[in-house]
Amino acid sequence: MTGLIATPLFWLTVTLGVFEAFDTLSKRSNRHPLCHPVLWSTPVLIGLLLCTGTPYATYREATFPISFLLGPAVVGLAVPIWAERARIRRLALPIALALIAGALTSIVSAVGILALFDAPRDLLASIAPRAATTPVAMAIASQLGGVPSLAAVIVLFAGVFGAMCATPLLNLLGVRDYRARGFAVGVAAHGIGSARAFQVDRSAGALASLGMALNAVMTAALLSLLAVFL
Amino acid sequence: MLRAIFLLLACQLAGEAMHRLTGLALPGAVIGMVLLLAWLAAIPRERPTLTAVTGWLTAHLAVMFVPAAVGLIDQGNALAANGIGLVTATVASTVLTMAVTALVFRWALARFAPLDSTDSMELAE
Repeated sequence: MTGLIATPLFWLTVTLGVFEAFDTLSKRSNRHPLCHPVLWSTPVLIGLLLCTGTPYATYREATFPISFLLGPAVVGLAVPIWAERARIRRLALPIALALIAGALTSIVSAVGILALFDAPRDLLASIAPRAATTPVAMAIASQLGGVPSLAAVIVLFAGVFGAMCATPLLNLLGVRDYRARGFAVGVAAHGIGSARAFQVDRSAGALASLGMALNAVMTAALLSLLAVFL
Repeated sequence: MLRAIFLLLACQLAGEAMHRLTGLALPGAVIGMVLLLAWLAAIPRERPTLTAVTGWLTAHLAVMFVPAAVGLIDQGNALAANGIGLVTATVASTVLTMAVTALVFRWALARFAPLDSTDSMELAE
């Protein structure tokens, strides 16, 4: 019986079950950012690993079929970008300029502020891709010598916080155009921000997903360049 | 359906191979995304199955990074030592990024792309 706890079948079932339970709660909350299912599944699963005395390496191997899907999912982000090509062409300059400015601001401010706290290099590498969507941020972080799990949680936290502060912040700045608002939310707060933007306005949502997908590529490209020169 | 999955995996594999062969620092999956974009541009036609498969993957992205997030279990020391710095940097960087992106977008919109009919129609919806 105890042998069963070490099998992929056990941890795959438990992971999907825990996630689905919190996902149902998240739906009931009308997708409030604070009810994001990853935010709650992660501590519960960590608790279960501790209770059963399962090392993380065992869990990671057992749940490999789930994490494997991240790669094809990232490749698939090309499809929404392609679908938005007419809009990209129409708004080429605002999109390009805002994307470059946003991606640079994100990297410089995140790494700069964390460096003020005397954080070690692997943490700086984990926070650098903060604005990229989680799977891309994890890949970049490990590339730069960071910690993928830390990058995943930082990105998640940024998304939750960004989704919650978007409306008051953009109102405060007096930005009323829903395209500018949506794009900024996607660039700064990726998927969780985009989900929120879709609740507010359809064109804001479309621009938010576009901002998320483009910033994944832009952040990866900028950090790859930096990695070459540093 | 299998063809759509094959296309995604083939792009990722090619991206991974380019990543290893050229020493390009871009992650393989991101190169794969660019390759798929090039493929879609090279052979433009309707791809309902590919759209459905990628739509399903994107809709379930959250559960896919749960196994990685659970890796925090081994990061207790880093979090205890640098938690405040990590939270401050993440919060400040998110606010700054959102503000800069929105302001630059608005400025460029007014400067280079005065109201275009298609998008303002959408706004009116």
